[in-house]
Amino acid sequence: MGKKARLGFAAFVLVGVVAYLMYTGVRQTAVYYITVNEFAQRRHQLVGEGVRVAGRVASGSVKRRMTPAGEEVWFEIGDFKDDGGTTPVLQVYYTGVVPDMFRNEGGSDVIVEGRYDGSVLRAQSLMTSCPSKYEPMEPASAAQAGGN
Amino acid sequence: MPTDSGAVALVIAWVLSVYALVASIWGGLRKQEDLVRSAENAALAVWAFTLVATIDLIRALVSRDFNLEYVAQYSSSTLPLYYTVAALWGGQAGSLLFWLAILTSMAAVVVLQNRSQNRHLMPFVTATLMAVAVFFASLLVFVTPPFQRLTFTPGDGRDLNPLLQNYWMTIHPPSLYLGYVGCSVPFAFAMAALVTGRLDDLWIRTTRRWALFAWFFLSLGNLFGALWAYRVLGWGGYWAWDPVENAAFMPWLTATAYLHSVMIQEKKNMLKVWNMALVILTFLLTIFGTFLTRSGVISSVHSFTQSGLGPFFIAFLVFAAAVSISLLIWRLPSLRSDNEIDSMLSREAAFLVNNLVLVGMAFAVFWGTVFPVLSEAVRGVKITVGPPFFNRVNTPLGLLLLFLMGVGPLIAWRRASWSSLRRNFLWPALFGVLVGSLFLFAGTGNYYAVVSFSLCAFVLATILQEFWRGTRARQAMLGETWPVALARLTTKNRRRYGGYVVHLGIVMIFLAITGTSAFRVEQQVPVKVGESFEIGPYRLVFEKIETWETPHSAHMAAQLSVFEGGRRVDTLKPEKRFYKKPEQPATEVAIRSRLGTDLYVVFGSFDATSQTATILAYINPLVGFLEWGGVVLAIGTILAAWPQRAVRGAVAWEGESRVRVEAP
Repeated sequence: MGKKARLGFAAFVLVGVVAYLMYTGVRQTAVYYITVNEFAQRRHQLVGEGVRVAGRVASGSVKRRMTPAGEEVWFEIGDFKDDGGTTPVLQVYYTGVVPDMFRNEGGSDVIVEGRYDGSVLRAQSLMTSCPSKYEPMEPASAAQAGGN
Repeated sequence: MPTDSGAVALVIAWVLSVYALVASIWGGLRKQEDLVRSAENAALAVWAFTLVATIDLIRALVSRDFNLEYVAQYSSSTLPLYYTVAALWGGQAGSLLFWLAILTSMAAVVVLQNRSQNRHLMPFVTATLMAVAVFFASLLVFVTPPFQRLTFTPGDGRDLNPLLQNYWMTIHPPSLYLGYVGCSVPFAFAMAALVTGRLDDLWIRTTRRWALFAWFFLSLGNLFGALWAYRVLGWGGYWAWDPVENAAFMPWLTATAYLHSVMIQEKKNMLKVWNMALVILTFLLTIFGTFLTRSGVISSVHSFTQSGLGPFFIAFLVFAAAVSISLLIWRLPSLRSDNEIDSMLSREAAFLVNNLVLVGMAFAVFWGTVFPVLSEAVRGVKITVGPPFFNRVNTPLGLLLLFLMGVGPLIAWRRASWSSLRRNFLWPALFGVLVGSLFLFAGTGNYYAVVSFSLCAFVLATILQEFWRGTRARQAMLGETWPVALARLTTKNRRRYGGYVVHLGIVMIFLAITGTSAFRVEQQVPVKVGESFEIGPYRLVFEKIETWETPHSAHMAAQLSVFEGGRRVDTLKPEKRFYKKPEQPATEVAIRSRLGTDLYVVFGSFDATSQTATILAYINPLVGFLEWGGVVLAIGTILAAWPQRAVRGAVAWEGESRVRVEAP
């Protein structure tokens, strides 16, 4: 019985380690994943939080500027609408490489991730998604183009 | 409107698979051999009709029959032939058809292999495989028919997604599917063993090669996917813990656990329940993986669209889980093992811990993948965890696994004595410590990396020591020269030494992961034509912009001269492409590989007014080991799975203990 107990103990320790790593991992890396509409509803609770917001880039809102530190992009995102006439809800600031699929005239479906400072979402990552008329295709890992 | 022969073939395949399912269960329970045979013949016919459908879809693609919706959606008149055939798995309906084609082909092989053996298991093997076939055939007949005709004929197709127009992407899905579907065969035999109560290790030995086959393709599928991401997506890395990647990784983890734990069952007649559970889990994860890839339920890039497939997959998963777990519980009393583990310092214990770690990793990956869905169900808000979560959990577990990879194969069965531990591990441990201290001495501040390199050295040393000792023993006892001794040693004990070679491949992959995650250099610079910048040992000069056009796509390349130590060593031309159909831009990275370390350059953007380009440059140390490790892993797996020449079945099985005698 002693052997069994020792083995059980080893398994228990291992399960505990996995559980601990998972728990702290979630605590430290979890971000709210919301649509831009949900964001609008709980805007005030989200100040200072890590968020990942999905929305559509408002037409005419994109400003890009080349700086020595890289490219700066400002744009606004709003709800997904078929006619493309999106009402801006959230201002986004992003520095880095802009994904291929991002359209300067607006209308791209994007997922931005970063921290909301009360007025602007400072995004560390900007991902574009396939336009919704396409069905899901094989490599969803395309998400990482330009991400992280 | 013409009816496609493929569509008719699919309906026939569906009817026949339902018949095969019912007839094999009925025949198996009533012990009616003729009915069982009839079901097997029906399974062969299902295979034939699925092939007809698959070939018909390929024919439609190749002949550019744009009236067919699938062809119009996923190919175009300018798409090269190679990718036109690959469009078979470029879209939903086609990839499900491809899945079914692989499944029914494997079912046919199983039926033909077992015409005169395993007769008591076969009815339920056929039934299980056909149940899966019925599911996929139903999707193809009722939910997403691939042979849907349009009311008009478009002048041209919308073309295959440019991201998929890549060599790695054409071989990644087939190998992943071969891996996924290959897992169904051990599962089918496990189910048959449970139903019939023949719970000895017959089903395990019968499916050993199938399991290796599936594992081989799962490994390659994962690696091809990583290489595709690295070469095509242009973000400098190869693994992002995307749900779709996780979907392929989870069954790999549990299949790896299974390949190790079966050895314990064969040797010690232990862990029978555990092995059953692993086979069931792996199978469910392959279906879950297909579901993740196909349904878009977990938010990945394609999150905004949801196909209607989700509920069907969930229903099938629940059904398969319910049936298999009930069978397992029903047979639990007869699965009790006769032995138990004697000591924590034994191979059994090492394997058991290895299994727990692998399953723990699979669980963590699963948890992280479905977390958004869970949190939404529980708290009403979608919360995602990113790559840091997965890295945080998997890094320590992966290192523990690496350590066990060195320990497991050398530690004695039952109970290791201190003297045997010293004999087996002294030199490898010293070597590991030496390598670790060298890195510390060189000022490496990343302790995970130091531990990882140190463990890689340790495992490498244990493997080399095994080959060395075996070769020396043969030289001494049989008077062979060392190349002959080494070759015979390896080929006479393929399973064991093949396993070591696989481990060597895994060590190489660990090197690549460590190098790229700990020592990667990343730079993002705006440069004007004529300007230059430095990264690592290189200086890159932005010479000029080049543009050209093909009927299929427009190209813009940044020409960069690469200087190292004042000498011009290379010219890199990262590209931006614009595909004309669908109107979509894409990035073509440029890579210079030297000794496994890559200079990886991406053309970010170009501003014509200021003549400024944004260039992303990365130094990815040791990344080449990913590919080489994959090659070594493949060689090792083939070696381990290669049939032993003579019919010494039982003796070959004991190969492992025979060598123990030979080795000092």
